[in-house]
Amino acid sequence: MSRSSLLALVTDAFGGFGGIAQYNRDLLTALASDYRIEVLPRHAPNQVGELAASPHQHKARQGRLAYAATAVTFSWHLRPDIVFCGHLFMAPLAALISRATGARLVVQFHGIEAWDAPRRLSRAAIERADLALCVSRYTRARVLSWSSLSPQRVVVLPNTVRDQFTPGNRTRARARFNLGEERVLLSVSRLDARERYKGQGSVIAALPNIVRANFNVTYLIAGEGDDRSRLECLAEEHGVRCRVRFLGKVATETLPDLYRAADLLVLPSTGEGFGIVFIESMACGTPALGLSKAGANDALCDGELGISVNGEDLADAICRALRHPSLAPAALAAEVQRRFGRQQFTERARALMNRFAQ
Amino acid sequence: MCGLNGIYAYHAAANAPTDAELTRTRGFMAARGPDGAGTWWSADRRIGFGHRRLSILDLSPKADQPMISEDGRFILVFNGEIYNSPELRSELERLGISFITKSDTEVILNLYRIIGKKIVERLRGMFAIGIWDTIKGELFIARDPYGIKPLYYSDDGWTFRFASQVKALIAGGGIGRESEPAGLVGFHLWGHIPDPFTLYREIRALPAGHTMIVDRWGARQPERYFSIAEVLASAKTARLSPSDRADLIKEQVAQSVRAHLLADVEVGVFLSAGVDSGAVLGLAGDAGLSKPRAITLGFSEFQGTSDDERHMSEKIAKYYGAEHIVRTVGKDEFIRDIPRILADMDQPTIDGINSWFVAKAAREIGLKVALSGLGGDELLAGYPSFTDVPRWWRRYRWLAGVPGAGFVTRLLLRTLFPTLVASRPKVAYVFDYAASWEGSYLLRRGLFMPPELCHWLDPEIMRVGLNRLRPLDRLRNTLTPDPGSDGARVCALESTHYMRDQLLRDADWAGMSHGLEIRTPLVDALLLRDVAPAIHGLHPGDGKRALAGSPRRSLPAFVTERAKTGFSVPIGAWLEAIDDRHDSVSVSTNGQTSRSWARSVLTSQLTGEPEPHAPKQAAA
Repeated sequence: MSRSSLLALVTDAFGGFGGIAQYNRDLLTALASDYRIEVLPRHAPNQVGELAASPHQHKARQGRLAYAATAVTFSWHLRPDIVFCGHLFMAPLAALISRATGARLVVQFHGIEAWDAPRRLSRAAIERADLALCVSRYTRARVLSWSSLSPQRVVVLPNTVRDQFTPGNRTRARARFNLGEERVLLSVSRLDARERYKGQGSVIAALPNIVRANFNVTYLIAGEGDDRSRLECLAEEHGVRCRVRFLGKVATETLPDLYRAADLLVLPSTGEGFGIVFIESMACGTPALGLSKAGANDALCDGELGISVNGEDLADAICRALRHPSLAPAALAAEVQRRFGRQQFTERARALMNRFAQ
Repeated sequence: MCGLNGIYAYHAAANAPTDAELTRTRGFMAARGPDGAGTWWSADRRIGFGHRRLSILDLSPKADQPMISEDGRFILVFNGEIYNSPELRSELERLGISFITKSDTEVILNLYRIIGKKIVERLRGMFAIGIWDTIKGELFIARDPYGIKPLYYSDDGWTFRFASQVKALIAGGGIGRESEPAGLVGFHLWGHIPDPFTLYREIRALPAGHTMIVDRWGARQPERYFSIAEVLASAKTARLSPSDRADLIKEQVAQSVRAHLLADVEVGVFLSAGVDSGAVLGLAGDAGLSKPRAITLGFSEFQGTSDDERHMSEKIAKYYGAEHIVRTVGKDEFIRDIPRILADMDQPTIDGINSWFVAKAAREIGLKVALSGLGGDELLAGYPSFTDVPRWWRRYRWLAGVPGAGFVTRLLLRTLFPTLVASRPKVAYVFDYAASWEGSYLLRRGLFMPPELCHWLDPEIMRVGLNRLRPLDRLRNTLTPDPGSDGARVCALESTHYMRDQLLRDADWAGMSHGLEIRTPLVDALLLRDVAPAIHGLHPGDGKRALAGSPRRSLPAFVTERAKTGFSVPIGAWLEAIDDRHDSVSVSTNGQTSRSWARSVLTSQLTGEPEPHAPKQAAA
């Protein structure tokens, strides 16, 4: 019997960078054994690399009209059984195709883009969905607050963690980043002026108090973007410039060692859809600290897996986390795998698609 | 009749549920089950059940819950009564199944082992059920056909929680209190919160006549197994003579009352001056209930008016040889009890105060179970709506269908008859809504009309709420498939909305806050199925005459010829004492008081913290 076909309309997936692209790659790979998948991305800035027959990714179409025209033409020939809409802003197009071809509609919600009610057209399109996947409970709750989707059709499929994120040789990892005996705080995220909610500035502001508490501390900031100069100035202002190191964009294959090298991943973000870096860090055995806000609660498991700061002074919370590390690296990594591991993700993705979109 | 709850952390990422939360939710429902408390946890601690017991059948601890099947596979929590449990037990015993208790709980458990979720089609009675299958790793929840017993759930995407009360779920501490726009809109439209919505966005009701499965992938869509419209529609081809109709009603009502007497404790009767409760009292006596205690609620403010039911009910009690207990409530007692009433009220409602006081009276004399005539008006065309709704639809639908007719009429009425519109605001909307059955019914039962909501609700809440609730679509769905006759349509509308979402909800919270099980023999799926052929030909008055003639000694003429008054409470006069904004008139005679009371209730429910009450002890 031939497999069902799935047309994925995504911003980026294979060859993309960032959390959304990663999620799309993970999801489409998880479903590849059940569906014949055709991926139509808006962007693919990096090398796509070798892909199996499914998912099969087509050439990126950057312009809106070109993308829409390609998607409609493509769907007409493919006659997909399922249309997967990887981003809210593509929902009207995905709903149109779904309606025209009779395909089931699956919509993906990541984070901040879905927290407030979208325009009427997008809302109407989304409310046609057979299945809405949300990366966190918070995103799900927000979607349910403005849409009339049945709650049973809005389900949580959290981010997963890739296989390379495991505990490893910490000494070697620290040496790789020229780290000595100091305690190392780490943030990993884009440095985008529109995403200051990520909170690196708060960590810089907390550093003087952490130093006063007798911690010889270095703060590593991985990621690049137009907010870097502001953060550099902020470090100067607080007199901790020598303790803050900007690493720029870190290659994917280097990330595991970076997490292993750190004592604590810190991302006091107020706007995470989920916060994949939290689980990547913990999968490498390094504890993670975030705010008890939005999707970060899921990655931190309400404070049972990571450290969830709720109304407490950030410097105090970091000091306490440095003094009292939680689980041993191997135990922490095992717990991440149990909750967010690839196997869990794949089984859940397949089961949900089977239940709602067949 | 009990309180049940459960927590299931179905998602692999979810933290294991805590004993503290399970116990907090269960503890909130202590008044529902003063006779025992139990918990059960799965070996992996991913799912737990809690239960508070009000023992009615098999009073021994062997029948405590959660109950585990003999083979250890199934774990059950149950709230309600299964009136055909003796017959089901015999069936099961013939299959070689042995029982260790005399409870209906064990019957459900064993029946589920054999037929699974089809069990709901075999149970006669009222129930909310939760069953965990340890082999399949599956939670099954179900609610009776009419929704007599409540069952609420919350699913945050990781963890599924359920309980008999909304406030109990909130008290557990794991659920947010963000308001549900559809609940707020529904409350303003009808004076109660319509299922499946609640006051809170994160909590929903399992609709009446539905089941639901939750497994490790999450909750599935609720599945309907019963529809009043379908039952009525399937019987519409029957052709019965008036006397056959009356005979059918008499026979089936008698059977239902007999079935509803199943208990190992004393069963009392709520008695008003009307046909329904009088007939239930007479039929209970026919079925062998010896010298039952009948309780009547009276209000000193009604003395000497047609609303005073004490004298008439005393004559009915004497007629049927019942011991009559009159409980008179006055303004002082109301003012003293109002904080407790509002705390006991699980969801905002503009009614239920009468049920609360009569339940209090029943518990004071030591009763655990009482029969009520609730449902007679809906089943047997007792309300004025059975005349009004078809008449309005026929009379006004042509003009109401003309575009702009509603607007012009409103303008004219407000200009020419401002006093009329002020005292009867819904008059202004006749030509907006009378074009359809559902619209006519909304006019009849509505507290506020949709266009009026903008005076009370934030525009965004109103928009989201109306979009989610779709009030006219909801009502229209009640008439799908078409029940087939005027009487059957109104029966379906009244039974599905006013009775199910208001009267039955009120009977539950009001009764359970006193640890009293209120049984409703005239609200019974089997009874509906059996009398459905008779409902189609009923003219207003016919059904009640048949009901009055059901007992071996028919209700006397002084009852059947009495004008219908409803069961009202002098709430206007009482509210005047605590708040001088209210008019001194009773709820049943002035819509403005209902509206004002509705606003007070909603404010108290939105701002108050859930407060559990200790089980109330009987005075006797």
